[in-house]
Amino acid sequence: MIVLENIEKYYASKGGKSYVLRHVSTAIRSGEFVSIMGPSGAGKSTLLNIIGMLESPTYGDYRFMEENIVTLNERKRIELYRNHIGFVFQAYHLIDEMTVAENIEAPLLYQKIGSSERKSRVADVLDRFNMVAKKDLFPNQLSGGQQQLVGIARAIVAQPTIILADEPTGNLQSAQALQIMELFKQLNEEGITIVQVTHSEVNAAYGTRILHLLDGVIKEDVYL
Amino acid sequence: MFKLNLKMAWRNLWKNKGFTLINVGGLAIGLASCMLLLLYVAYEWGYDKQFSGYEKTYIVYNNSTTPNEVFTWKWTPGVMAREIREKMPGVAHVSRSSFPEEKLISYGQKTLKKNVVFADTAFLKILDYKFIKGNADKALLDVNTIILTEKTAKILFGNEDPINKTVKLENLEALKVEGVIEDVPLNSTIQFDYLLPWTLLERRDAGVRNSDWGNNFCLTLIQLQDNNRLAQISAEMKGIFKRNDKGTNADAFLHPLTKWHLYSNFENGKSVGGKINQIRIFFTLAFCILLIACVNFMNLSTARSEKRAKEVGVRKAIGSSRYALIGQFMLESMLLSLIGMVLAFILMEMCLPYFNGLLNINLMINYGDWKFWSVFIALTLLTGFIAGSYPAFYLSSFEPLKVLKGAGQKAGRVSLSVREILVVFQFVFAACLIICTTVIYQQLNYIKNKPIGYNKAGLVEIPIQGNLKSESRLALLKDRLLKTGAIANLSYFSMNLNETGHSTFGIGWQGKDPNSAVLFNYRAAGYDFAQTIGTSIVAGRAFLPQFNDSLTLIVNEAAVKTMGLKQPLGAVIRLWHKQMTIIGVIKDFVMESPYQKAAPMVLSYDMAAVRNIVLRLDPSQNISASVNKIDAVIKELNPEFPVDLKFVDAEFSQKFNDEQLLGTLANWFGGFAVFISCLGLLGLALFIAEQRKKEMSIRKVLGASTLNVLTLLNRDFIKLVSIANLIAFPLGYIIINTWLSAYEFRVSISALPFALAIGLSVLIAVLTVSLQSFKVARSNPIDALKYE
Repeated sequence: MIVLENIEKYYASKGGKSYVLRHVSTAIRSGEFVSIMGPSGAGKSTLLNIIGMLESPTYGDYRFMEENIVTLNERKRIELYRNHIGFVFQAYHLIDEMTVAENIEAPLLYQKIGSSERKSRVADVLDRFNMVAKKDLFPNQLSGGQQQLVGIARAIVAQPTIILADEPTGNLQSAQALQIMELFKQLNEEGITIVQVTHSEVNAAYGTRILHLLDGVIKEDVYL
Repeated sequence: MFKLNLKMAWRNLWKNKGFTLINVGGLAIGLASCMLLLLYVAYEWGYDKQFSGYEKTYIVYNNSTTPNEVFTWKWTPGVMAREIREKMPGVAHVSRSSFPEEKLISYGQKTLKKNVVFADTAFLKILDYKFIKGNADKALLDVNTIILTEKTAKILFGNEDPINKTVKLENLEALKVEGVIEDVPLNSTIQFDYLLPWTLLERRDAGVRNSDWGNNFCLTLIQLQDNNRLAQISAEMKGIFKRNDKGTNADAFLHPLTKWHLYSNFENGKSVGGKINQIRIFFTLAFCILLIACVNFMNLSTARSEKRAKEVGVRKAIGSSRYALIGQFMLESMLLSLIGMVLAFILMEMCLPYFNGLLNINLMINYGDWKFWSVFIALTLLTGFIAGSYPAFYLSSFEPLKVLKGAGQKAGRVSLSVREILVVFQFVFAACLIICTTVIYQQLNYIKNKPIGYNKAGLVEIPIQGNLKSESRLALLKDRLLKTGAIANLSYFSMNLNETGHSTFGIGWQGKDPNSAVLFNYRAAGYDFAQTIGTSIVAGRAFLPQFNDSLTLIVNEAAVKTMGLKQPLGAVIRLWHKQMTIIGVIKDFVMESPYQKAAPMVLSYDMAAVRNIVLRLDPSQNISASVNKIDAVIKELNPEFPVDLKFVDAEFSQKFNDEQLLGTLANWFGGFAVFISCLGLLGLALFIAEQRKKEMSIRKVLGASTLNVLTLLNRDFIKLVSIANLIAFPLGYIIINTWLSAYEFRVSISALPFALAIGLSVLIAVLTVSLQSFKVARSNPIDALKYE
C-alpha cells in the first residue's frame, strides 16, 4: 500500500546539508500496524509527515496505493486525505468551536456524504466509543484522554484505509494510554492499517512491526 | 455544510464578543455613514427627474458675450417661446414661466403669502405634476384661474373642495381654482405654491406685455419630441437672438433639465460643473468611510489569525480544500456585515431626523423601492467581500504542518507589516479629513468675517406691499417708526440687499470703448441710504431732499474704476437713454457673492422703483422689543399683508449654505472616520498587548517601570500614525488647494491644520492604545509567566 524508495530529506544550512532522513526505503502493506521508534531528532515525525503527505521529501519516490505522490497535484492529494487517511495528533487538534459530534462529523462533510448517513455514522462511532452522553460538549470540557478518543473517532469516521498517529498517547497518563492502544489494536484487527510514532516500548508492543530510526536511517525493521 | 459553517461562524463571533463588537460597530458606523451619504447623493442626483419626459427637456440659456467675459443666464425674452413653437419642428412643447416670487393670496379670512410662478399651459405638459383635482388639459388656459398645490389648498380651504371656488390675488384679482396638484417635490429646482396663467402676468404688467428680444425675464423650457433632434434644434437655437435682434450680443443654448441642478456654473459660456463637485466629494467620502471600516475588519481578523491558524491546519488535514476554507471565512465576514447592516439601519433611522435638520432637507428611507434594496444588498455583499477577502485568502493559505507544529507565530509576524500598512492607510485618510475640514472652516470664517462694506448686524428689510405702495403712506410709516424709538435710520432700496439681478449693459460714458460691454448693477435708493446700511459716501454727497435728484447718480468705487474716471464727481454718463450726472461715490459693498469683488453699480434716487424698506435698529434697544414695535406699526398701517420682516445678516449667511454644508458634513463624517480608525487601533492594541504579555512581564521582572512598558507599547503606534501623517500632509495640501483655488478670496493655507491633524491623530492613537496597554503594563508579571 505504501512504497518508499530512497527517501531523503535535508535542509540546506550553512556549510552543507543537514539530513533528517537518508536513503529510507520501505514498504507498508495493507493491514499492518507499524510503530516508528527512535530517539529525539531521529526523523520519526518527518517520516510520518511524509507518509501523511503533510511534507514532501527532498528526493526519492513515494507511491501510495499505486499513485506517485511526488507528482500529485493539490486536488488529488485532498482526495486522498478525504478517502484514505485519518490523522491522530499528539495535541489532539480538535476544533474548539465545534462540539464533539460536530468534530467527528467534519471529515464527512468534506466527503459530501448525505445528512442522514452522516448522522448515523456519527451516532455509530459515538456509541462505539461510549461518548453519546458527551456529544454536545465542547473539547475544552473533556479530559485529555477523552479528547484523544474524539480525535481517533474523527479519524475513523470517514472509514480510512490508514491511520497515521504522531505520539497519540504522548500527552496522556498511562491508564488512558492503554485504552487508546487497545482501541488501535482493535481497529487494526478490523483491517485498518495503522502507522504510529511512539517513544514507548509498551505502545510499540501492540503493533505488528517496529521500524527503528536513528539519525535518519532505518537501523532495524522488526516484525513481531 | 453551510449550516455547520454558519453555526461555527456564529460561535466564533459569540466567543470573541469584544472583537465582534468592535468589528460590527465599526462596520455599522461605516455602513450607516455610507448609506446616509448615498441617500443624500441620490436625493441630489434625483433633482428634476420626477417628470415623465425629463430626459427630453431642456432649459434655454442665454450667453451674453462681452469682450472681457461671457455672462450666462437662464433668463430669456418672453417672445422667444412663440418663435420656437412656430419655427422649429421637432419641439414637442415650449413654455414660459416667471421667477418665483411671494405674493399674497386669500380666501375668505385666510390670507397667506406664498410663492407663485406664472406659466404657460405647456408648462404643465413639460413638467407633468400629478393633478389631484381638476383637468390638466384646461389648466392655465383662462386668464382668471389658479392652480394650487395640495398643501396650499389645504391651508386655504381645509377640507372643502377648492374646485371652482374663488381666491383673491393681492386683494385685487378674483381667480377661479381650476385644479389642485401634488406638492412640488423638494428636490425640484422650480419651487412654487401656486401657479397662475402667463396671460395674467401679461395683463398685470405692461413691461412684460410690451417686451421684446432685449428683455430677459422669463424661463423658457423646451421639450423635444425625441433626443435625436437635439443637434439640429441646438444649431437652430444658437442664432435665435441674432436672427431677431441685429445688435444683440446674446446666443441661446440648451441646457438639459437633468443637469440643471448639479451643473449650474458657467464660465465663458460653457458648463463647468457646480454642485456636482460637492456631490462627487460626498460620494468619494461615502466609499472611503466604508473602506476604512472594511480595513478595520481585515486588521482585526488577521490579528486573530494565530488563534484561527490551528483550526485551518486541522481542517486541511481532515480533507478541507482551500476553497472550502475561503468559503467559510467569507461566510463569517458576510454574517458580520449583515449584522452590521441591521445595526446600520437602526443607526440611520435614529440619525435621519438630525441629518435632515442639518441639511434642511427631508430624506427618507424608501422601503418600497427596489433600487434602494438592490443598492442595500449590493453594499452588504460588497462590504462582506472586501472586508473578508484578505483574511480569507490569508488564513486559508496556512500550511497545515507548520501551524500544527506551532510555527504559526511566524506567520503572525509577517502579517504585521500588512496590518501596519492598513493602519497607516486608515490614518492617512483620517488625517486628510482633519486637514480639509479645518481649512474649510478657516475659509468659511474668513469669508464670513471679511468686511462686506456695510454693517449687516441690526439691519432689517421689509417689503413695500399693499397700502405701503402709496408714497404718502410710506412717509407716514417713516414718521411713526422713528417715533417709536425702535429704529435709528430708515431708507429704501429697489431690491433686497443680498439679491442678485437688475443688471444692464446700457451704461455709456466718455471714453468708453464702443465695442466693449460692461455689466452694471442698477439700483434705486431712498434718502439716508448710506447711513442706514452703515457705509459711507467717499466723495461727493448723498441724495438729499433739498436737491432735485431725478437726473443724478451715485456710483460705487468699482464703477469709478471700471469707467476709468479721473474726476467722477460731475461726470455725465448715460443710463439707457438718460444722461445722468454723478454726484457721489459710495464705498463698495457686497450684494452678490461674498467670494467675488463687488461689481460696478449705479444708484439712482427713484421712489417709484423702490421695493424694500431698509431699517437700522437702534442698537441701544432690545432687538425683540424693537421688532415688536415695528410689527405693530406696520400691521396698523398695512393690515391686509403680513409684515415679512427679514434680518439682513440672516439672509446674508445663506450665501454660505454650500460651504457650511460641506464643512458640517466633512466634520461629522471625518469624525466618524477617525472614530472607526480608532476602533481598529484599539483592536490591534488589544491583540498586541495580549501577544506581548509575556515579553512585558519579563521586562517588568527585570525592572522596567509601568511607564517604560507603556512607552514601549505606544512607540510602534505613534510611529505608524506619524508615517500616516507624513503621507497625508502633501495629499491633504493638494486636495484642499484645489478646493480653495475656486475662490477669488481665500485663506492662505497655514501650518495650523497640519499641526492639528498630527496632534489630534497622535493624541487619539496614544489614548486608544494606552487604554488597553495600561492594563497589561500594570498587571502582575507572575500571572502571565506562570502559565508558560
